[in-house]
Amino acid sequence: MKYSFVLISLLSIAAFGAEKNSKIPIVTTIPEVNKPLSNTKAEDVTAPSNTTINVVYNKEQAAQAMPPHCTMPAHCAMPPKVEKETPKKDVLSANEPLIISVVGQGVAPVNTTSPAQAYALAKRAATADAYRLIAEKVKGVSVDGQDLIKNMMVKRSTVRTSVQAMVRNANIVETTFKDGLCEVEMEITLSRSDFAQ
Amino acid sequence: MRSRDGDYSFTLRLCTVVLCFSLALSASDYLISYRCSVQNAALYNEHLDIAKSMKECQGIPDQTLILPSSHNHNFQSIISKHANRFREYLQKLPFEIRSSQTTTNAHINAVTILTLKTQCFKVDFNDTFVTISHLKQPEN
Repeated sequence: MKYSFVLISLLSIAAFGAEKNSKIPIVTTIPEVNKPLSNTKAEDVTAPSNTTINVVYNKEQAAQAMPPHCTMPAHCAMPPKVEKETPKKDVLSANEPLIISVVGQGVAPVNTTSPAQAYALAKRAATADAYRLIAEKVKGVSVDGQDLIKNMMVKRSTVRTSVQAMVRNANIVETTFKDGLCEVEMEITLSRSDFAQ
Repeated sequence: MRSRDGDYSFTLRLCTVVLCFSLALSASDYLISYRCSVQNAALYNEHLDIAKSMKECQGIPDQTLILPSSHNHNFQSIISKHANRFREYLQKLPFEIRSSQTTTNAHINAVTILTLKTQCFKVDFNDTFVTISHLKQPEN
């Protein structure tokens, strides 16, 4: 009777061990991707110690996987550099006024009666040109382009630039008139108080 | 009843009406506008319009110009004598600029138009000089 109990206990232990061994392959076949599951045998399987999985990434995947501060894998060990953000400086500061200076050019019309009239008319044209330059500097220029291509050849190429602005307190600094060309140096002082809301 | 000297009451009424109208017209206020067009760096059109204001202008004197008048009370003739100084004075005022340049197959056409919108000026005539003051419109 005693031996029968001992025999039953030994058989149950053996059966439990066999069940345990039959469960191992399912868990350990995961790292070995190339070997099909149907070919695995229980005797081939050993408990994994340190499994290393080599995965070949594309460069794009690698870039995504790496932190943003490193471009090469060796750089990732180093701590990321903290870039100092320089504070943005306003174009118009509160204390310093901004002086914009331009030189406008103008010529006299062909049918003038005297050099004085030619000078006066050229100066007005140069003044208008200087105003345009100030408006372009302060407000900016809108540019529009159009190309017409026919039979693989450029038939017409058009570029239009335009500006529309309001300018006040412009000062003429210097006027020169030489060889029929009048040049007017004009400047305008911008301060923050002009734009106070 | 008609008097021997004529219709006195009618004359009185007429003078009163003329006096009231002359006060209401405010003869010392002028409206001035300026327009100058430049094409391809040459002036081809310029307008300076001056007119008496039909009603009194509201505003604060902003920029002032003093021109010699020598007993001349004709504002247009005074300005035409000192046109350059007056134009430089106008440049202090807000000018509207419209400029466009078109380049077609390396041919350039540029037009710039300067416009001073109609502004009201207060003009004080004296014996030897005239004072011109731009009236700045009060901001709402």
